[in-house]
Amino acid sequence: MNQVGSVALVAALAFAVYGVVAGAVGGYLRSLKTVRSAERATLAFFVMITVAVVALEFLILKDDFHSAYVAAHSNSALPIYYKIAVLWAGQEGSLLFWTWLLSIYGGLAVLLNHRKNRQLMPYVVSILMATGTFFASITYFVANPFEQLSLVTPQGMTAFSPADGNGLNPSLQYHSMVIHPPMLYLGYVGFVVPFAFAMAALITRQLGDNWIRVTRRWTMVPWMFLGCGILLGANWAYYVLGWGGYWGWDPVENASLLPWLAGTAFLHSVMVQEKRGMLKVWNIVLIIVTFFLCIFGTFLTRSGIVSSVHAFAQSNIGPFFAVFMALIVFFSLTLLFLRLDYLKSENKLDSVVSRESGFLFNNWILLAAVFAVLWGTIFPIISKAIESETITVGPPFFNKVAVPIGLLLLFLTGAGPLLAWRKTSFQSLKRNFTLPVILAAATGIGTLAGGIRGLYPWMTFVLCVFVAVCILQEFYKGARTRMRIAGENFFRAIYNLTMRNTRRYGGYIIHLGIVLLFIGFAGLAFKSETKGLMQQGDLLQVKDYLFRCQELTSGQNPNYEYERAVLTITKDGQALGTVHPERRFYLASQQPISHVAIRPSLKEDIYVVLAGQDQDTGKAVIEVFINPLVSWVWIGGFIVFLGTLLAMVPSRVEREMAEIKRPSETAVEEKHAL
Amino acid sequence: MRSRKLAVLLLSALLVSAAVVAASSKPTVKSLGDALICQCGCNQTVNECNHLECPVRSQMRAMMAKEIAAGKGETAILQDFVLKYGVKVLASPPTQGFNITVWILPGIGLLLGLGFVVFIVKHWRRPPAAAAAAPAPIDPKVLEAMEEEMKKVAHP
Repeated sequence: MNQVGSVALVAALAFAVYGVVAGAVGGYLRSLKTVRSAERATLAFFVMITVAVVALEFLILKDDFHSAYVAAHSNSALPIYYKIAVLWAGQEGSLLFWTWLLSIYGGLAVLLNHRKNRQLMPYVVSILMATGTFFASITYFVANPFEQLSLVTPQGMTAFSPADGNGLNPSLQYHSMVIHPPMLYLGYVGFVVPFAFAMAALITRQLGDNWIRVTRRWTMVPWMFLGCGILLGANWAYYVLGWGGYWGWDPVENASLLPWLAGTAFLHSVMVQEKRGMLKVWNIVLIIVTFFLCIFGTFLTRSGIVSSVHAFAQSNIGPFFAVFMALIVFFSLTLLFLRLDYLKSENKLDSVVSRESGFLFNNWILLAAVFAVLWGTIFPIISKAIESETITVGPPFFNKVAVPIGLLLLFLTGAGPLLAWRKTSFQSLKRNFTLPVILAAATGIGTLAGGIRGLYPWMTFVLCVFVAVCILQEFYKGARTRMRIAGENFFRAIYNLTMRNTRRYGGYIIHLGIVLLFIGFAGLAFKSETKGLMQQGDLLQVKDYLFRCQELTSGQNPNYEYERAVLTITKDGQALGTVHPERRFYLASQQPISHVAIRPSLKEDIYVVLAGQDQDTGKAVIEVFINPLVSWVWIGGFIVFLGTLLAMVPSRVEREMAEIKRPSETAVEEKHAL
Repeated sequence: MRSRKLAVLLLSALLVSAAVVAASSKPTVKSLGDALICQCGCNQTVNECNHLECPVRSQMRAMMAKEIAAGKGETAILQDFVLKYGVKVLASPPTQGFNITVWILPGIGLLLGLGFVVFIVKHWRRPPAAAAAAPAPIDPKVLEAMEEEMKKVAHP
């Protein structure tokens, strides 16, 4: 199977190189036959990379420890679902996985545009396959997952297979880790498609809003996956790392946030181009920045140039990525510069107080957030190079810099959608903002009277109410109009309103999800923590909760040994349930890890860690965190996910337009292709 | 007029509330634990160190509690930690020397960005006369009336 995988990788590399050349030549010569050949090469690239992935999974599931990758990252006692996840647990496998996802996106782009966007497709294929060439080359030549273990003996090299593997890193043995990396990678990789369309639009001078319309869903899909990946990573940190939080501003966490922020700016900014024919250069710049940050994020995760809690897969691939990133910047900016004449704005701003200005300010805030997070993330490297001093840029920096920016963004989340295109009158501002401002002010005074301290959390609650009222008001106003005009009941009106313009109301739902996320973020400011030593029968009081240690047990299964505390929780004499925090010692990797017990609720999570054993007394060390409002983060994330799905559903208007479009138009489009 | 007074009153109340909230923070073991890096080698803050039974974390927390009890302010406590462990103990760089750029540049970036946006808005703005000549956005009430009329036409 190692040979099968290697041969498949070489074949994929050959198809990718052919795809780059045939796509570009076919586009330049306007040869449909050559372009079709390039498209078939893209599909063949997908097939070959799939063969390589299947080969590696086969080696992992068969416990073939003759394979260096399997021996380093798996072991025979590992449960099957974690064995499947071994594919992306190490450097070599994760690069192959990246390449596979790229081949899926590439294949889908080719199949879904078989009869559409014919002028763009040759170059789209060429750019997708250029990225494929880079990743397939790295996977084959630098980080090959099909290397075999061998021993050097006096007789020469002999094959070697250890009795068992080193095992999967214990901190990766958690259910959300099975889906967190695929989600994150689907996000990182997916932005290659809108980038390819943007570059193709520049090459072909097709710089109207067609490429924007074509790539809207191609952008929303990776944006959604990246968001899900980030939240699943936060969920993993919360459940596995055992420090009671979910976001530590770790460089690798930041690396995933950067393209998400830039992608968010792009998704908002394209609306201005669609509606008003403005910001054409800016949109190209944004998609270049987003794609660059995706590659940068992969580079940061894989190269080990910054210290990170995510140091699972690092090696010497950094210089290759640096060259690739330099090529992206050079190629895309040169093209942009050459096509500036085709990117002139079609309109001017009618008023400072308008939706267009709102989007400009939204972009300003998002890009400021990108810059602040990027600067803080890479500053230790710069400081080390200039000052030769090891410093850390950690949560205090990011909280001081990014939180105010986040609050500004939260404000725009509510205010932006209420501004009208072209010009917003004072009357309209008054009508739309009176209720949100009154309720936000009342919340500010009420929360202060209720004892809330801390400027940022207090401002967050105030702004959350402001934004939520702004958005709910939009739903209510729209529904009321429909109720009056069409005689629908309230719920039918809300449903029809939403389905008539899924993009707009899906967006509003995403904004509501963002509000819930911010409520959850604010909750952590009120986190409390207590540590106690316990043995059977001991009691520990934490805030209103009383913990009783029922028993301390230990045991073993083929994968790990464990110590477990069984604690009952009561509040005001009422039993709330039992939690079972564990401390595990994984046999293959010989590493200990805590397995946190969490009792979640909308108000607060009870988060219990069995931190170890006290050396003097022999008692269990129990750490209890009371984390307010954390559940709102997961709920908010889920609502953002649902809102994104809704925004991708074609609205009724779009479907009606599609029905109007005669089938012959498609034939005409095909006929005039190239 | 009445609504304007109410708005001013609410805004004033909000600003006073913000000042009260901002003034009410003092150092705690938790806040200091977020500002210092655990010296066990985990490269995370004291609060986020995920090493089981980390002895260094416990020592550092004990020192924080002792200094808070002695009535020291946050800056003085952080200085004591720098004296003991070096500048690397700080979770964010000090605001001196080259390191000050880490703090300043995001602010400069934010302001430059704002300046750029303001420039763009001014540069791209249609002259008021031309803007007035351009068709004005339709009043929502007129739009509603039009929709009602269309409905009557569709379903007489």
